[in-house]
Formats: sequence, structure tokens, C-alpha cells
Amino acid sequence: MTTPAAIKAALRGDNALPLRPINQVMDLERLGAIHQSRLSFMRTLVRRIMRERWQIEPARFELDEQGYGTVVYEINTPNKLYSFVLFSDYLSPDERNDRVIATKWDLTMALVDGEVDDLYLEKLRQNVPKQEAGRVDARVFVLSRANRSARNFDYVVDQLANSKQPDVAQIAKVGYLYRTTAVYGSGKLGMADWEKVASRHADFARPFAAEMFVCLMLRNFSLLQAEHIAQHKAPESYNPMLPEIKRFFGIGNSTGLGMAPYLINHPLLINQWVEMRELALARVRVLGNINHRIQQQFPELLERCAVHTAETVTEDDWQTANNQQVLKDLDAIREHTRNGFDSWETLLQWSEKNCSLQGQEMLVSVMLELYPELVDDLEDYHTAEEFQDLDPIMPLQELKQVIEDRYQWALSFDFAAEGAKDTFWYRSEEKMEPRLGNARDEDGKDKEMALGVAYAVRRCYDQLSEYMAENPEHSTARFMVAQPKLRGIVRRIQSMNRCIYGDIQANLLDREILPMHLLRAKLAFFGVGKFDPRSKLWVRNTMFQGAPLLEDIGKTFNDDWFMPLAPQQQGEF
Amino acid sequence: MHVSMIELKAALRRCFEATGYFVGNYEDAANMILWLEKHGLNGLSELERALPFIGEDSTKEASSVIYEDSTSAIIDSNGRSALNCIAASVDLAHAKALENGIATVTVHNCHNRMFILKALTDCGRRGISVAAYWQNGSQTVTEHTAAIKAGERYPSYSEATTTLSSNEEDKQALTIICSSRVDLTSSLQRSKGNQNARYISAKQVELNKEYSVDNGIDIDEALWAQINKIGEGVLVENNERSRQGAGGR
Repeated sequence: MTTPAAIKAALRGDNALPLRPINQVMDLERLGAIHQSRLSFMRTLVRRIMRERWQIEPARFELDEQGYGTVVYEINTPNKLYSFVLFSDYLSPDERNDRVIATKWDLTMALVDGEVDDLYLEKLRQNVPKQEAGRVDARVFVLSRANRSARNFDYVVDQLANSKQPDVAQIAKVGYLYRTTAVYGSGKLGMADWEKVASRHADFARPFAAEMFVCLMLRNFSLLQAEHIAQHKAPESYNPMLPEIKRFFGIGNSTGLGMAPYLINHPLLINQWVEMRELALARVRVLGNINHRIQQQFPELLERCAVHTAETVTEDDWQTANNQQVLKDLDAIREHTRNGFDSWETLLQWSEKNCSLQGQEMLVSVMLELYPELVDDLEDYHTAEEFQDLDPIMPLQELKQVIEDRYQWALSFDFAAEGAKDTFWYRSEEKMEPRLGNARDEDGKDKEMALGVAYAVRRCYDQLSEYMAENPEHSTARFMVAQPKLRGIVRRIQSMNRCIYGDIQANLLDREILPMHLLRAKLAFFGVGKFDPRSKLWVRNTMFQGAPLLEDIGKTFNDDWFMPLAPQQQGEF
Repeated sequence: MHVSMIELKAALRRCFEATGYFVGNYEDAANMILWLEKHGLNGLSELERALPFIGEDSTKEASSVIYEDSTSAIIDSNGRSALNCIAASVDLAHAKALENGIATVTVHNCHNRMFILKALTDCGRRGISVAAYWQNGSQTVTEHTAAIKAGERYPSYSEATTTLSSNEEDKQALTIICSSRVDLTSSLQRSKGNQNARYISAKQVELNKEYSVDNGIDIDEALWAQINKIGEGVLVENNERSRQGAGGR
């Protein structure tokens, strides 16, 4: 068990651990290169479920032979009872659309506080299948929907109906039966606010824990539904799926631009996530003893990462090149440590000179994986009070110095250069979907979202310098009365200066900006794998592949589903 | 209808962004309204009174400091809504109190002063005690005071109807007292002619918040529609090109 005081002492002051430098860690390209780790939210959630032995049982199971109908699971945790409510409806193939702007889905789901009686279920039935077009109350705290991966789903059903198992090679290509296309929490559509979830539902009081749980339940249901349909299709020849093959199924996810603004609009929270990951790394660098067990496990994990990466299927050239590079990096690390090694510090420094960003960050995830005793207790420190408070008494000279010290990266951009302000981020009138536009030939820049932090810092710095020429002795508060338009960015600069890591370092207005890095960063904190970009604006990925099944709860648990591999399959399937 | 707190905040942010409030200010405005409503102090009623005028704020002069010394300042808000300018006045009082132990800032020509409560609460949370006093009304004058102790999370609030006659000077004025040394509390005196006095303790404010956290916010549908309608001003028209800007195929 760690404590806030111990964490503070490890991050700051005389006895601080050696953290990686800010400019290295907060570089957008590096953030976009990180991978799942022991601290990813899916991993921490599964650890909690397995260790606390949550009881998850169907309270209502009303599916027809085709798998359509209503299912309600009751979840008994050490603290409370929750209900997971799922509606399965027919969807014609031409209505199946992964975009946020879709209006119908194969499955719609809600996570609800307490038991669900007939009356409340009916209320949910009137609203949950409509998603954004419906309304729920504060008992509900996650809403989601999912679409079938039609080819995969039908194939699996046919195999099971014909006494066969799904071919693992096929699952390795698409490792899921359903893709979730949105998971809403934190007060959307009338649901409970995060403040309620964090203070009333202790089991889900970590960021995105409830949303991840719904994805886990969806993954479980997708397998159950496939078996249910197969069994009804051919009761004589039906064979249930083997557990090791079941575990290799995850849940698909499509993530588009909508996730990107979140990272910019929640800088204190993102900083907290980064601080915990970097603190975990620093602990391993200093305290991680390289004994016989580690010397044995390390190459095994590198091998696993290599196979997992090799099993990742994508049609995207950029991602394919990344994956190839990671494989080379992993080979190089293996070669470099073949005869043993005695210092993480030295190995990390070596990787920074000899591996790509993705390879370096893969090594970091492996290091964390090897030391649960140094890493896992940081899982409870991923929330942050998101107050961006103005420091009114700060002298302007100090404010200027803070910008020069902490935002040198922003001041280094030449905003007069060709393309430096060509991109603008805006909300479409279509479900307020976040989108990107090109300022040179598209309308809407006058309504852009305030995501250009680097440019805002530049303008603030210039106006501050001008103001200081006349009022050098003024405080920040006095400056704010005179320049109210800068209040937002000044507050942000001062707040992020109180953090170890601070803002993500990128010019989001640049013509060449790759939003994919933002998406990847957040998804890696969630714990997804198998990145498959479909364009530079959206990415498919797999969640919970390799995770324990619901039927594994209560059995032995070794928390070892990092970078899952396809199970070995014997004989004919 | 029922909405969550974050939904209300997001809708208000869009509403004030579309109205011409700038970054930092539109968040403040949304937070001030939500804070009052969430804590049982009628933020949405205050908003309804303010809504017809918020569009004018962007055409008004910025606040100006018309007098200042080490422990006091007088600020002219030039007829703006507190939603748009009061946080900066509280910041100035805060800064002076940190420097000198106690400070007074008087604000003139400021509307919707009830919204100051969120800014006061932020000060309390950050270890500064603040009290505020203002009068309101043309026909019938009401008086109001709120205060929070250093380190606390909830303020107390009092209001009463008076028999005072209205004068132009006081009508849109507000006094802020801020201290880094003294815990300030405030309540209205039992002045002659005061009636309908209401005192809401910090504890009651906290209980109101707990209720909102559990249940969300109830809002009049017409007001909700109005907020969202104004907020549509930040949305960009949809076309095939813009659809591609979301990465769809």
C-alpha cells in the first residue's frame, strides 16, 4: 500500500525518484506510441473483479432462438448491487453503421445502480435502444451500444453449431464478435454525473472503470449469445466453445475524433495518468531488482510482445510499418540482453538510442509488467480534482518566466509558417460530432473549439510582454482585469505549472497534425490492443482480449493477460 | 425535465461561447450558474433573468479599475453581467488579501451579482475567507450577503426584503471583503423593516449539493430549449466534406 504522502515524496523534493523529463514524456508522438500496461484501466478493473470475486449472474434471460430479446445481469460487489441491462434487437445489414451519427444498433446496454424491476426495465426499454435520442435518470451511469462483426459472428455460430471450434487463425485477424461504437458515462443523456459515481459507487470510483466494465460485460454477452444461437440452431450437433478460445475473444472498438478533445479539455487528469505511469517506471528503474526470476521472465515477455505484435492485423500502411519497427526493436532488445543485464536504467537509456518510440514504450510496459509489487498500488491514484485555479498574486515577471520554462515548446512553433494554423477543430450540427476542418478552404473556423493551446500560449506571451512594458509591477489578478480574454489560458498555464508533466506538447492547429496520436494515447491508458487505424481520424482496436471470463471469477487468477496470444489449436477445428 | 449537472454545464458553456464570451469566461459563466443551481440557490432562475441581456456583454467596455491602493480597489464593470466579469474582481481581492491580510473591493455597474457565490467558494477552498454584500431591486430593495471561511467548501448565504429606498449608486454595486488572516462570516442584521429574511447555512448548502449529486437537476423544458438553441451558434453546418472531417467512410 502506498500513500499520497509517499507518492508526493517520490515525485518532488530531495528524495524524488528519477522521472523522465517533461519534454520527452509529453511529446505527442511519444504519447501516441505508448502501449497497454498493468496500470491500464481494463487491467485494474479486472484485478478488482477477480480479487474481490464479484458475483455476476443473469437475473433475467429472455432471448429468442435468434438471440434477440432482453438480458439483465445482477452484479454483487463487496459494496453494492448493480444491474447490467442489455437489449438485443434485429438490425438489417444496411443499417449497421459504426459512426456516432448512427441511430440503430444490434445491442444497446445500460449499467444501473440497484435492482431493476419490471417497471424500471420498461422505462429503460423505451430509452436505452434510442441512445442519444433517449433520456435516462441518475440511476443509470453507463450507456453503450454495439454492432456485430457480422462475418465473424456468423462464422463462429456456424462452427459451434457444427460441432467445431472457431479457427484461431481467423480470430487472430478479427478478435471480437461485436464492436462497441460509443460508451457514454459521466452524466450524458441524464445519467449520473461522475461526481455521483465517484462518491456513491466505490466499485467504479476510478476513471472510466464503469465504462470499461460495460465493455467487459458486452464481451461476455457476445460469447454467450453466439453459443445460445448456435445451440438453438443445431441442438444435436452444437458444441460449446473451448474456454481458452473464448478468452482470446475481446470486444472491438471504433474510436474517432470525439476522444481527442477530451485529452485537451482534461489536462490535469491526463497529467495524473502520466505521472502515475512515470512514477511506476521510476520505481522500477531504481527499486526493480533484477534477479533470476526477472532474467527468466523478461525475455519471455519480450517474445510474447513480439508474437502479439506479429498477430496484429491491419491494412493501414503506417501502422504496419510501426508494427514492423516494434518487431525489430524487440529483436534488438532481446539481442542486447541475451547474456543478461543488471540495470534497468542502463537498458532504458540504451533503448532511447537504439529503438523507435513505440519500441521504447513497449519496453516501459514490459518493465511495469515485471513488478506488480512496485506498480499496482498506484492504480488508486488516477483521479484528479480538475480545478484550473488562477494564482492571482503571481507577479507578471514570474508568470512570464513560467511560460518560458514550461511552455518553451509552444513558443518554439512558428505560427506564421505555412500550414501552422491550417487545421481547426469544430463541432458539427450532426450530433455535435467533433470534426477537423482545413481553414484554407472550409467554413467554420470562426466556431472552432479552443484546442489550440500552443497558439493561445503564444498570444498570451506576446500580450503579456506588451502589458509588462507598461505595468511591470502588476500581479496576475490585475492583469486579468485588464485582459479578461486571456483568463482561460493564464489559468491553464498556472495550473499546469503545478503539475509534474503538464500539457501535451503539440500544435493541434498544424496542417500535419495526427489526431491518431491523441486517440492512441487515451486508448493505451484504457488498455486496448491491436490498433488498426482506418484513416488518420479513426481507429479500430480490441478490448479485453485475453482477459478472464465471467466463469473464471472465483478461480485462481495470475493477472497475466498482458499482450495476449492466440491459443494453440490442436487438430481439426 | 431532468438533466445531469455535466449536461447543464456543457449546454451553458456552448450557450455563452455562442454569445461571444471568450475562453475562460464561458467556463466561468457555466460554472457559476451550475454552482448556484446545484447548491439549491436558484441558479436557473437567475439565469432566466440574465438571458435577455447576456448578448449585450460583448458590446460593453471591459471592466476598469477606477481606484486602487494596497488594500482596496474600486472596479467599474460597465453594466456587464457578473457571469462575465465578477471572477476577476474576486481574484483581485484575493491577491490583495494575500499581500496585506485583508482587502476590500467594490464593484459598480454589475448585474446578476448572486453569481459571485461560486467565485467566493473557490476562494474558500483555496484557503482564503471572503464575504460579499449587495443590494438589489428598484421598487422593493432586497439585500444579500454570503461568506465562506478559509479552507471550507461551502458558503453561507442570507437575504431579506427591506424598506430601504432604492438609489442608483447601490443598485448595481457589490462589496467584497477578503482576508488571509481573519475568518469572515456574514449574516444580515435584524434591521428595522427587514422581512422575509432567509439564512442558509453552509451545512444546508452542502445538503442541497448532495441531493443534486444523487438526483441531477430539474430544468424547465422551455429554458433548456432556449439554452440549447443559443448554444447551436457554436455548431458548424453539416455537409459531405465535413462528414469526411470525422474520418467516416
